[in-house]
Amino acid sequence: MIPELGHVFLVLAFVASIMQIVFWTYHINSFNELALDILKKSALLNCIFILISFLILTYSFIISDFSLLIVSNNSHTLKPLIYKISGTWGNHEGSLLLWVLILSSFTFLVSYKKTHNNGELLFSIIGVQTLILCLFLAFILLTSNPFERVSAIPIEGRGLNPLLQDPGLAFHPPMLYVGYVGLSVSFSFAVGALITGKINKEWAQQIRPWITIAWSALTMGIALGSWWAYYELGWGGWWFWDPVENASFMPWLIATALLHSIRILETRLIFINWCILLSILGFAFSLLGTFIVRSGLLTSVHSFASDPSRGIFILIILVISVGGPLILYALKSSLFREQKVQFNLLSKESALLINNLFFTTATATVLIGTLYPLFLDAFNGDKISIGPAYYNATFAPIMAPIILLMAIAPFFNWGKGKSKNLLKIIAILITTSLVSVITLYTIDGSSIFAIICGSLSIWLFVGVVSDLIIKFTETKIKLNKVSNLFIYISKNKIGMNIAHLGVAIFLAGVTGEQFFKTEFSGRKNIGDTFSIGNRVLEFKNFETINGPNYQSEMGIFTLHHNSKFIGYLKPEKRYYPTEQTQTTEAAIISNFLGDTYIVLGEGNYETGWSIRIYFNPLVSWIWAGAFLMALGGVTSIIQNKKTFNNATKVSLNEI
Amino acid sequence: MNPKYRRLFIITLIICTLGIATQLILMAIRDNIVYFYTPNELINKYGINKNIKNKIRVGGLVLEDSVVKNKNFVNFTITDKKDEIRVTFDGQLPDLFREGQGIVAEGFFQNNKLVASQVLAKHDENYMPPEVADALKKNGAWKGDK
Repeated sequence: MIPELGHVFLVLAFVASIMQIVFWTYHINSFNELALDILKKSALLNCIFILISFLILTYSFIISDFSLLIVSNNSHTLKPLIYKISGTWGNHEGSLLLWVLILSSFTFLVSYKKTHNNGELLFSIIGVQTLILCLFLAFILLTSNPFERVSAIPIEGRGLNPLLQDPGLAFHPPMLYVGYVGLSVSFSFAVGALITGKINKEWAQQIRPWITIAWSALTMGIALGSWWAYYELGWGGWWFWDPVENASFMPWLIATALLHSIRILETRLIFINWCILLSILGFAFSLLGTFIVRSGLLTSVHSFASDPSRGIFILIILVISVGGPLILYALKSSLFREQKVQFNLLSKESALLINNLFFTTATATVLIGTLYPLFLDAFNGDKISIGPAYYNATFAPIMAPIILLMAIAPFFNWGKGKSKNLLKIIAILITTSLVSVITLYTIDGSSIFAIICGSLSIWLFVGVVSDLIIKFTETKIKLNKVSNLFIYISKNKIGMNIAHLGVAIFLAGVTGEQFFKTEFSGRKNIGDTFSIGNRVLEFKNFETINGPNYQSEMGIFTLHHNSKFIGYLKPEKRYYPTEQTQTTEAAIISNFLGDTYIVLGEGNYETGWSIRIYFNPLVSWIWAGAFLMALGGVTSIIQNKKTFNNATKVSLNEI
Repeated sequence: MNPKYRRLFIITLIICTLGIATQLILMAIRDNIVYFYTPNELINKYGINKNIKNKIRVGGLVLEDSVVKNKNFVNFTITDKKDEIRVTFDGQLPDLFREGQGIVAEGFFQNNKLVASQVLAKHDENYMPPEVADALKKNGAWKGDK
């Protein structure tokens, strides 16, 4: 009975959203405060309905209600509680329910944010959000009902894919969805601006926190996914240019471009049309990602039971929600008057423009690499795959100039203002980079790309630190107390610096992992000692262990570094009887300098076991860097809010 | 910069970037595409000597009783029930690699053997790489439900 209630609430939300859309289109040309108020309240209502429905599904997973199809297909009584809960979104139907839950929550949050004083715009934003919600609810109800019952109730469920039973992956989808769906808000802002025909600096100020939230969440979501792939798949890599990874990476690239171009719009009121186009494209890429992953067009751990009708449905949603706004854009974008602004070649405007050009070009290379195999297959049946080599030859050279620019652009001034300090900074940057090139060359001159990549990282690091130092000296605070550091942070906008520092650290990690990785593989038996670099491992023992829902074969190794004992490594091969699946659990000892990563292969007491060991220098810096990027985003939202509130106060005083 | 020059500058910049990017993409696609074949397609296209310089992927079923494990590498045969390709691989096999299972091997041909740098099998008991499933359907050797 309870699951039916969940279904009813979902239908209620769907019906409500249709009514709201009718109401919205009826009032769109005769906007009034009362209509806005009604729409705001109904946004809350949608959110509550969907939340109840989602909680009911979660509850069904927790109590293992196997009369529900998706629970019996994806859960098991022996599964730990956290994976029962995360199982709610570990399948196609449930993950879509999470998608709409996040969408309706965003709509609610937008409608209740106090800083809005443009009711007409808000009215359109909620309307567009509700339209998207309605399309997705229809999608769920028609093709992917999460509350479908089975006729014969099984005694035990079929379990969740063991690869997905993992803490990293429990939080990867919600995070990624906040990013994907967050981009719908900037999309609605853009469509709202097209509908109302008005755009101003305030519009840009209001849209920016939403882009930043979405971008930060997307960054974290992608990083979590990559981290999971690193330790769970046992391949020793962290990014494979897999189409599914690309599907989440393209919206990120567009959001990054948007995050920067909105700064120009906010300050100078130019590039209005470009920002609107990017806002639409950002969400389009989110939907394209959802389409690629959900349609079963590509196979991976992400494509659950695939069904062509679902793919077509998402394609229809994609066409409606992107085609419509693009037509509107073609008709109305000429309405927006840009300010006549002059700027130097070396100005923030130029730098941000180049940033956008490169980011969109980079997106295009990823898009082509992702879709070309599909087109070729459809076109003449040739089956090809495009691997990392393609991206190393296209994406990487396009991104390198961005890093060069990233270090110096913050020192540029807006418009025609002289950029002080610039020459000094460039001198410092070139000197340190030369030193780093020489240092890297003497360490290992075998790969020119390693030297380029490492030096870019140092170039950027020095750039960010110089910027921080200049800001610091200008604020004139002494760093004799820790509390002063907080004052400093609160007085300066350093969100950008934190994010850029994250990029530098990320690049250092990439350099270490890509170019200085060492690897050893071979067959070893108990008692054998072997080494990788100056790290010595000893195969101590082999054990069989019973986990809660799996059996495990575990090798026990000791790790010594420079004859100092570091710790035990316990790689496993797990067998999940319910799912009849085997997984490899790599053992990793991670520190600041790098990871010792060991994978246990098949074998027995007579022949020994096949073993693979990697030493991945600086690999944890990759995720630390991503985390800093997201942190930078969050910092700038908080600081932006402060200055925004101050700005409104000031403008009120002026009145 | 006055607006006229600015526009010129922007347009030049865009054209240059896009031009370079297009060039990079075309070069990368020419050099880095990995074609997928079934053993039958491969032999039809390149003949018995299999004189192929590029990296390729071959997919099919692991032939029963063909897997021979040595100390450091493993030999096996991929079949699509029409033709067979010998594969040698010195890495760690995926968890679900076993005889009769659909897999994809990627690598270069040397001495009439595919020297694989990567062997892919998916983490699902029923999983069949889609390319392999298609090829088997074409050959009439498909035993699945669809």
